[in-house]
Amino acid sequence: MDQKPSTPAVAKTLQRRLSPLARAVLHCIGECIHPAEHLPTVFSSSHGEIGKCLEMLETLQAGEELSPTAFSLSVHNAIAGLYSMAYGNHAEITALAPAAAGLGAGFIEALGILQEGQPEVLLVFYDEALPDFFPSAPFNMSLTGSCVLALKLALVGEGIRLSFGLSQNTRHDGEQPLQLSALIKFLNSQQSVLCLGDQGCNWQWQKR
Amino acid sequence: MSNMETELKRLIIDTLALEDIGVEDIDSHAPLFNAGLGLDSIDALELGLAIRKTYQVKIDSEQHDVVSIFASVASLAQFIESARP
Repeated sequence: MDQKPSTPAVAKTLQRRLSPLARAVLHCIGECIHPAEHLPTVFSSSHGEIGKCLEMLETLQAGEELSPTAFSLSVHNAIAGLYSMAYGNHAEITALAPAAAGLGAGFIEALGILQEGQPEVLLVFYDEALPDFFPSAPFNMSLTGSCVLALKLALVGEGIRLSFGLSQNTRHDGEQPLQLSALIKFLNSQQSVLCLGDQGCNWQWQKR
Repeated sequence: MSNMETELKRLIIDTLALEDIGVEDIDSHAPLFNAGLGLDSIDALELGLAIRKTYQVKIDSEQHDVVSIFASVASLAQFIESARP
């Protein structure tokens, strides 16, 4: 993206802590919910911002001291933390690294929260390209760019009506980063069924 | 305003990525944290590291009164001047 995605809900003092991926995630969330909506939220990301960990390891290798700011933002739930601070959201926030489970893990977690009685849940998928240091290609686990999707889910109400469950089709779509664009395309098209899977975890979404 | 204070303001802006703020926007005697510039504890750690690298001055919470040293640009400049090698 040439232009910085806008994140009006985020205070100036927090804006400076946003990586390009964090900015993209908070921009998509901003398009999906109102700043005053404090929804339980599930984040799903295969790799988080693992590039930051690699940079810190290289800093240590060079015998230099780590930046406390970089350290504080290097954990898998860093973007979830920034989101909770930006929105003043004290609701339940979960950060998943789904590995073989792909997009299914986030949906299962979000549906679990709805079944517990919460009226709505925010489900956010995001990933960026793994640094070249990691040999991701043979493992089907990284894209060359970034991808973010924010969805507001509820058991009743308006919007796209979907059912979600296990699929009998054995598929080899790769992990979340490689499945995400197919889900976005499915949600924006007339396509009625989507099957995605990897390493024995096969899921199906069907429009009703 | 002393040179050290101006230098420190530049260091604070660059180290903490305070994009829209200039040296002239920082009052030497205003509180740096919470109120004032609105910096937080992570910023304090980051600033401590930058000061150690730039001036070879270590601010140690066991030896020094960190709260009064970090109170403002003026107090920070005074401490660095007195402690630098």
